[in-house]
Amino acid sequence: MSSLRRLAYGLLRAVLRHSRTENEEWARAMLHELDFIENDWAALWWALGCTTAMWRQSARGVRRWFSKQGSKKEAGMNEGGKKALGFVSGIGLAAAVGAIGVGLWLLSFSLIPAARAGGQWVHLTVGVFLPETIFVVATILLWRKRRPMALGIMLFGAAAGVHVLMHFAKHWRG
Amino acid sequence: MKIRLSPQTLLVLDAFLHSPADWKYGYDISRNTGLKSGTLYPILIRMAEREMLETSWENSEEGRPPRHLYRLTAEGARFAREHRLAPAKGALRPASIQEVNG
Repeated sequence: MSSLRRLAYGLLRAVLRHSRTENEEWARAMLHELDFIENDWAALWWALGCTTAMWRQSARGVRRWFSKQGSKKEAGMNEGGKKALGFVSGIGLAAAVGAIGVGLWLLSFSLIPAARAGGQWVHLTVGVFLPETIFVVATILLWRKRRPMALGIMLFGAAAGVHVLMHFAKHWRG
Repeated sequence: MKIRLSPQTLLVLDAFLHSPADWKYGYDISRNTGLKSGTLYPILIRMAEREMLETSWENSEEGRPPRHLYRLTAEGARFAREHRLAPAKGALRPASIQEVNG
């Protein structure tokens, strides 16, 4: 066997040894074809071409793997982004409802003078109980389908509730 | 089915269409089309991945390794006929044809 042919065999055997499982059949096919190429130079060119082809095939596999990982990561980031957006939206919606409640509470002083005489219950109903009821109902309704948003609403409702409780505790102590 | 129809791919499809039912060897396809192994095999691999090509191993003769064989699948043959390099009229398509077929 000439040195050229030995080199060709050596190259393709190395390619076969290092090829990935899914490419092994192709590498073996290229190696076996060498036995049917009569010219030594042609055999060497064949081996060089096959080595290039297998190198490109491996590079394609690596590229595919990376793009798969990238799209997985991107999907994960999208999922996280959606959750964060839902959570922030929940807080925003609850804040808007809370602001409307506080607005109504302040308006009740001027629009319904009787409310001033009626004591704190009217103001508590408009400014605290009504918004808190909306928060609880919204949390229950959204819990299954839009949990991050429900969590945002619940968090805001709890914070507002704690704030109101602390306010009254301080007021009654004083 | 989606494959980049480079002039080289068209050459390979055409080589298979000469006798679509016959199994062919890689080296023979290379000689018939004039394509180097570095160009031919990536095309064959892509065609096999897209199930346009079926592969098989030939039973080996005494002292010789088995050879890998290739043949168009029914789907591959249909695709090849639609996009063959030399249509029945004998007119060759321009060598610069490069299209992506969906």
